[in-house]
Amino acid sequence: MDVFGSFTLLLAFVCAVYAFAGGIAAIKTRHPLLVKSTRQAGIATCVLIFIATFAVEYLLFTDNFSMGYVVSHSNRDLSTFYKVAALWAGQEGSLLFWSFLLSVYIISVLIAYRNKNGELMPYVGVILAGVQIFFLTLNNFVENPFKTLSIVNASGFLEPFTRQDGNGLNPLLQYPEMVIHPPNLYSGYTGFTIPFAFALAALLARYPGEKWIHLTRKWTMVAWCFQSLGILLGAHWAYAVLGWGGYWGWDPVENASLLPWLTGTAFLHSVMMQEKRGMMKVWNVWLVFCTFLLCILGTFLTRSGVVSSVHAFANSHIGPWFVGFLALILFVCFAAYVKNRDYLKSENMLDSMISRESSFLFNNLLFLIACIAVLSGTLFPVFSEWFTHNRISVGAPFFNKIMIPIGLAILFLTGVGPLLAWRKTSVDSLKRNFGWPLAVGLIGAIAAFFLGYRDGASLLCLFLCAFVFWTIAEEFYRGGKVIAARTGMSLMMGMHELAMRNTRRYGGYVVHFGMVLVFIGLAGSAFNTEAQKAMNIGDSMKLGPYTLVLQSADTKAEKNYTAQRMILEVLKDNKQLMMLYPEKRQFQGTEQAAGTMVAIYSTLRDDLYVVYAGMDPEANVPVIHAFLNPLVKWIWLGGVWVVMGTLLALMPNRRAALGVATVPEASTATVAQTLAPGVTLREGHD
Amino acid sequence: MINAKRIAVLSLLLALASAPLVIAQVGYSQRAKEIGTHLKCMCRGCDMSAGLCAHPGGAFSGPCDTAKGMLKEVDQHLAKGENEQQIIDAFVAKYGPTVYVEPPKKGFGLVAWAMPIVYSVVGFAIVIFVVRKWAVRPASAAPAGHPSAASSEALERARAKADRETED
Repeated sequence: MDVFGSFTLLLAFVCAVYAFAGGIAAIKTRHPLLVKSTRQAGIATCVLIFIATFAVEYLLFTDNFSMGYVVSHSNRDLSTFYKVAALWAGQEGSLLFWSFLLSVYIISVLIAYRNKNGELMPYVGVILAGVQIFFLTLNNFVENPFKTLSIVNASGFLEPFTRQDGNGLNPLLQYPEMVIHPPNLYSGYTGFTIPFAFALAALLARYPGEKWIHLTRKWTMVAWCFQSLGILLGAHWAYAVLGWGGYWGWDPVENASLLPWLTGTAFLHSVMMQEKRGMMKVWNVWLVFCTFLLCILGTFLTRSGVVSSVHAFANSHIGPWFVGFLALILFVCFAAYVKNRDYLKSENMLDSMISRESSFLFNNLLFLIACIAVLSGTLFPVFSEWFTHNRISVGAPFFNKIMIPIGLAILFLTGVGPLLAWRKTSVDSLKRNFGWPLAVGLIGAIAAFFLGYRDGASLLCLFLCAFVFWTIAEEFYRGGKVIAARTGMSLMMGMHELAMRNTRRYGGYVVHFGMVLVFIGLAGSAFNTEAQKAMNIGDSMKLGPYTLVLQSADTKAEKNYTAQRMILEVLKDNKQLMMLYPEKRQFQGTEQAAGTMVAIYSTLRDDLYVVYAGMDPEANVPVIHAFLNPLVKWIWLGGVWVVMGTLLALMPNRRAALGVATVPEASTATVAQTLAPGVTLREGHD
Repeated sequence: MINAKRIAVLSLLLALASAPLVIAQVGYSQRAKEIGTHLKCMCRGCDMSAGLCAHPGGAFSGPCDTAKGMLKEVDQHLAKGENEQQIIDAFVAKYGPTVYVEPPKKGFGLVAWAMPIVYSVVGFAIVIFVVRKWAVRPASAAPAGHPSAASSEALERARAKADRETED
């Protein structure tokens, strides 16, 4: 199977090279058979990568310990569930997994558009094949997952060697979320390849800027959704498994996943400027280019060891490959832009500083500042080493100080943007639109103050959360009321109908609502408290309103590990509330042998987060580390709404039985006049 | 397996029973822990601060031995009557600037703090400039602002071509 897998991977490389070179020839000659054969080569590349990936899984499932990768990341006792995840536990496997997910997107695009967009698709195919060639080069020649073990025999020759058992999977990864977090995040990273390929292809084929945006809107949203979900699942995993009481530590690898998310989010907003007003075409093309570049940069930061990180892949020799690839993409993008930039001419006109358009400009500016701040902070240790020969660390406190104001400014715009009309907003309408949200924001902040959340930044954040929430609620209420009045539906059904008629706009609001919940959760982090105590049986520890009593302890031996479990009773106001069972797991045969299982009692108000830290090495008694983390649950709830909102935005609009215009007739006419040809004005505004 | 389990339970309970009844000392003061949040744990494995080190994946989910050693060292400095800044300076002299959790607000570290401010200011200036430029164009320089007739014709042709060749 290893030889088979190896050959499949090599054949995939050959097919990708053919798809690339043949694609260029097809663009030059326009020969229909050549176009078809290169497309089929593209599809074949994807299928071969699928087969190679399944070959690695087969080797993992059959415990083939003659394979280096299987030995390093699996063992006989590893459960089936985690044998699947062992594919992305190491450098070689996870790079193949990258190729695999990229191929899922590519094959979908090649098949979905096989009879469409005949002139554009060869360009798209060439770019996608180019990206695949890069990753297949790594898969085949740099980090091949099909390497077998060998030893030098008595006569000095290498001979194959099979181990009895493997080293096992890193215990930190033996957690259900670790099986779904990396695929989500990788799906985000790889998904941005599609809008990138279409944007570059459209530029190379000299299509005006609006075309590729129409074609890739949904692909971008899908990639963004996966990226968001991947980041949140990663945060939740860090929270529930690592046992340090937090969910985001501004680790370089976390930052790397945030970078393309920030530019991708900026893009999802600025794209509306182009669709509605024909503006910012150059900007949008570059945002998509940058998002893709940041995806590759993120992969590079994660795997090259250039910045120190708690994540696993550090210190590998693939860094120069990524740097070369980044430089090449940048060169191609720049050359294509310089050559064909005339086709991206925009009709940039603004009527007023206070308008939806300018709010989008500021939105993009803030996302970009956030992105550059995270990027420069992440790379600063490397820069400082270059310039001063001393590595200056940039830890979480730095990022918190820098990012809190930027985050709050973005949250403010989340509320303000939708209140501003396209083109121009009068002072009267400002007063009308802002009055209630501001009042509700103030009530929210006062309520938070009396509930004990007394911290400047947190209070401002909660004020803005209430403010944004009310602007969203008003949007739904007003629109829903109009529909209800015209159709005789109930208000709830009216709001539902409203959302279904303009899924993208109201899906966007649902995503905003999800982000409000996430921000409420983040505001709680200013009030985290903790206590650590070495406890004998019967001892108790107080934290906030809770008292923890250590009742007893037990040990359970599982197939792959032995767990030491503390049994703690939780009391609140001297009444028994529940039992918590934090665990420490000792894994067999692994390098990092210990894992924690945190016990969390989670409510909307706070999380009681209890870790059994281990035995105190000096006193030989169990140490219990407890955290009281207010409002954390809101973050995970927010994540659910973000995903639901994105799914809503991906649904097609339902046709209205009765025309309901949320833009006044007069302004619709004026907007329509200034729209670029080919841009249609949808009902309402996104 | 059951035997192994029993032995493990018994040994754990025995350990608990034989342990001294006094609460074990953590070995460092609360003040040392506070100062420790400004110092990076130098174990090079966790990237956390010495004060908040939980060393994920380690045998003990709490401050690792390196972090504990550093916190005890902070206590020694405190005993000498040194203030927070003096203690941090002493650690920087010993380990180099890597020991800072966040860049120092002096020397090259200042660049890290200045950068976000600089590009925020520059960014806002650019956006305000662009907004003003776009806002005045239709009134004052409408003909000059539009693409020339030839290029707009070319753009129109390209648009028609794109519409012909693609389907949404």
